[in-house]
Amino acid sequence: MQNEFAFFPGCVLTQAAIEAKMSLEAIAPILGIKLKEINGWSCCGASQAQDVDPVATLVANARNLALAEQMKLPVLTTCSTCLLMLRRAKAQLDHGEKERINTFLAKGNMNYKGTSEVTSLLWVLAQNADLIKSKVKKPLTGLKVAVFYGCHSVRPEKDLGFESSVNPTSFETVVKALGAEVVPFAKRLDCCGFHAVYPAEKSVMKMTSSIVNSAAESQADCVVTPCPLCQMQLDIYQDDAQDTTKSKTRVPVLHLSQLVGLALGVSAKKLGLDYNVIDANKLG
Amino acid sequence: MKFIIDRFDGKKNYQQTYTVEKKDIEALTLLGTLLFIKQHQDITLNFTASCRMAICGACGVRVNGHSYLGCDTKMTELFEAYKDADTFRISPLANYTVISDLAVDWEPAIENLRKIKPGLVAKDKFSEKEGCVQNQEEYDRIVKQWDCVLCGCCASECNKLSADRSDYMEPFVYTQAWRVANDSRSKDPMIHVKPAVLNGLWNCVHCHECSNRCPKHISSADDIAGLRALAMKKGLNSGVGPAHAKSFYTDLVEDSGRLNEIRLALRTEGVSTALRAGTAITLMRAGKMNPLEIFGGHTIEGHKDLVKMIEAAKAANKE
Ligand code: SF4
Ligand code: SF4
Ligand code: FES
Repeated sequence: MQNEFAFFPGCVLTQAAIEAKMSLEAIAPILGIKLKEINGWSCCGASQAQDVDPVATLVANARNLALAEQMKLPVLTTCSTCLLMLRRAKAQLDHGEKERINTFLAKGNMNYKGTSEVTSLLWVLAQNADLIKSKVKKPLTGLKVAVFYGCHSVRPEKDLGFESSVNPTSFETVVKALGAEVVPFAKRLDCCGFHAVYPAEKSVMKMTSSIVNSAAESQADCVVTPCPLCQMQLDIYQDDAQDTTKSKTRVPVLHLSQLVGLALGVSAKKLGLDYNVIDANKLG
Repeated sequence: MKFIIDRFDGKKNYQQTYTVEKKDIEALTLLGTLLFIKQHQDITLNFTASCRMAICGACGVRVNGHSYLGCDTKMTELFEAYKDADTFRISPLANYTVISDLAVDWEPAIENLRKIKPGLVAKDKFSEKEGCVQNQEEYDRIVKQWDCVLCGCCASECNKLSADRSDYMEPFVYTQAWRVANDSRSKDPMIHVKPAVLNGLWNCVHCHECSNRCPKHISSADDIAGLRALAMKKGLNSGVGPAHAKSFYTDLVEDSGRLNEIRLALRTEGVSTALRAGTAITLMRAGKMNPLEIFGGHTIEGHKDLVKMIEAAKAANKE
């Protein structure tokens, strides 16, 4: 197993999703994964900056990738939007843009070669399901989980390409390896709306609410997502979203790394369950 | 194997299950399978199709909740995608009103298409005598979007349309607006960009369902981003959407190089709304965010160089 990575935390992990960082740092050593944070990484543009200047966004990500190349390591991120932004940048660079963008990187004495792949925590875990199984200390037997992929871990398939975007299985593979039960969940491939929460608030609240309600209808004890942005949307905004649709339903929303941590026997405190807005402590 | 097909007779919705031998359909397309069922089992089953060669756009339907162009999809592809499932659910395109079984009403979408003026309004310099020509490079720039066959697969998948159709248009409408706005022969891109902005351009939720399911590999999500950048360049930059996008760019280029969530909320919504219910406040209340972050984060290592690189890219773009 490739176990050393150039780690791209993305802005969300260093700020709003403190519990995602805590839980990741708690599980990585147990799984034998070494994450070396990329020095000087910049915001990936978060699926927003390209609306202002697409070339600047590509340059920033070419630089991020070049920094990882200097470390001679593949890139790993836990944020699905960072994953998409970095993988799209890499695809653009590898299919024709490399030379042009390198003339700009040269202004800072950098150069993109194309030697580092970009992967995600979800994919690495899915590829090593047996290893995870062997590390499970507290199998999550009886825990009913609604797996919420979130858009940018599967779509567009041409840029992500790890698995089928209409029938993905990586997440189920991981959650089953932890001993939990995956419940049928109609909204597992829907969009939480995070990226338009400001301009299209009403629609986004409706989307968030319908995801939470669908999980509850499936009798799920919690929703789990590999993307910290989806977690933020479904957790932080859950009260507001449910108020707008007059739903009393509340469902805890965990980061993938928190769920893994529970099965590995990490304490609720170390996993930052306290920081989840919808009470998740009862799962710990 | 079984096909559960959603039906509508003008009054009521119901499902009907058809059982067929796999050997009879495995060499066919999805449209071929529908035709097979119609010919051999149920003449009353309604769906639309014409060219059978992926150019008329009439045969879009959903399989297991995802859109496909019927004549362009081999059954073997579906067997592969759904891991040899022996039951498929076939439904009409979503986000359209169903007329009968799998046939949907295109009129409202066509009305939206009219709004962005999809026809070319040519520059004044063109004349009947000299024609209205463009060079290969200019043509190549828009040829991808010309491929759109108006099949509606993107619209069927669009999460924003599903949430609320009243302030949004079908993704392909924005793609058509992009195409004509970026046509070198166009008199003024804003003829097409403006109605796109006024009709929901900033409401896309970035779900990438449109780009994922387009049989022509067109990305309406990217065309939407392109139209937004064009709108902003041309000064059409007020409102929450542009402010939100700009704050990411500002943080990347002018500030620390990383996003500042607290300032993001303030920049996007303005102080009063952010204080009402903004993200920043919720984050601080949850103990996830240090309020002092409002004064800016730690500038990343090498930020000056990053700015130089971006400046160089900008300068080259202007040339
Ligand atoms: S953009 Fe693609 S999916 Fe949408 S109508 Fe055109 S061809 Fe069909
Ligand atoms: S990315 Fe935007 S246009 Fe495309 S399907 Fe999603 S919401 Fe609709
Ligand atoms: S029948 Fe014309 S596109 Fe399929």
